[in-house]
Amino acid sequence: MSNVGTPSTESPPAANLLQETPGATTIDSAAPASPATVMANLRRRGANAKVVVRFKGVGGVPVMKNNLFKITGNRKFSAVIQFLRKEINYKNSDPLVFYVNSAFSPAPDEIVGDLFQCFGTDGTLIVNYSVEPAWG
Amino acid sequence: MPPLPDKGKTPAATASTSNTTPAPHNPIAKVIWDGSIPIQFSWDKAEATAVGSNAVESFFYEAPRCSYFSLLTSHVRKHFVDMALHFIGDDAEIWYDYEGTPLKWHYPIGLLYDIHGLQASAGRGMNGSLLPWKITVHFQNFPADKLIKSQAIDSCQDYFMSMIKEADYLRNGSTKKVMNLSKSDQTQLWDGLWSNNYDKFWGINHKLTTNDNVVARHLPVRIYMPENCPVIQDLVPSVDENNQHRTLRQVLNQSLPDIFPLVETGTPVATAMIHGIIPSLDTSVIWASQNMSYPDNFLHLVVIIK
Repeated sequence: MSNVGTPSTESPPAANLLQETPGATTIDSAAPASPATVMANLRRRGANAKVVVRFKGVGGVPVMKNNLFKITGNRKFSAVIQFLRKEINYKNSDPLVFYVNSAFSPAPDEIVGDLFQCFGTDGTLIVNYSVEPAWG
Repeated sequence: MPPLPDKGKTPAATASTSNTTPAPHNPIAKVIWDGSIPIQFSWDKAEATAVGSNAVESFFYEAPRCSYFSLLTSHVRKHFVDMALHFIGDDAEIWYDYEGTPLKWHYPIGLLYDIHGLQASAGRGMNGSLLPWKITVHFQNFPADKLIKSQAIDSCQDYFMSMIKEADYLRNGSTKKVMNLSKSDQTQLWDGLWSNNYDKFWGINHKLTTNDNVVARHLPVRIYMPENCPVIQDLVPSVDENNQHRTLRQVLNQSLPDIFPLVETGTPVATAMIHGIIPSLDTSVIWASQNMSYPDNFLHLVVIIK
């Protein structure tokens, strides 16, 4: 990245990570899938795509040497939370708040692949963690 | 609350200085806000029987569609405690199910009804009335594997504000609009929802949803398919490549091209519901977002398979 001063707000190039994203052109001749097939595919949506999560600790939290991790796109955000707690050895009862892009806290049942697609920056999903509320 | 040091100003007068903009006149948003669902809350039979209280009367309540179960919990608890229940736990332990499915406390009640009531019964080919909506109340055995376990009943406010911020981020690429609200504006936003006060809520919320004639980058939209499928949240541009307003059909087609073709050639296999209403799919998504979003500022589209 040469353009350090300009924060990038464009969709990251790594959006290709989620190649299964619906909206890709369908072949005209193919018959449309039935609702049952659509639902079956939806349950697998993101299962073959990896999302790169970049963890950033805020305040007095343990910082990891390696802060980049891959997670399967169809996992829930709760999996990201559980993973990080394990990495820094924080019990579920230890207070820890999570944010995406230093902006908002996704609910634990939000889908990682969707979060990446909507909020990914430079090919990663930036997840901030803090022992106390850091942004609003 | 401690008394204010400045005795010359009443709290009301202080608050009103930061809130000079009234709720804009919007009959559609008002009708959406006023939508309600009559609910019959019954105590879980096994729990009631275990303490010999199996004849306890249900609690009936007309709940705003835009509200949350957490906000009704104190009324519900009070009813059953007055009846027979001995409950010394925290209100965050109380949970609700419909036909055995635990209901997410961080989803608006109207959305839960459309998903678990209308969408599910359409899937079974039923079209009789589901009202009053029959909900079972549990005071024990919180299903932490299915529902988020909150630390306290007021977690609902944190989740709600987070959704508001997520929606702001989608629209504007940052949460600046929410963060620029004063503390008292943020409080008023939540108080308006909590007390079902349209003017209070929209007096603040319109600051977040009007974009000063700037087209929102993306619109906060979630799509719900039946049978507990994962929720779909794609990036939804508000205009197409020719700068034309996109329609609900285009938005649904983007995420679900097989069941929402751009040009319908036969009988449609699916339709979408917002607040219990089936809108025309030719509706502009900007219009729908501005007028038919829930208070969390997301347009929640519930797909009905025909």
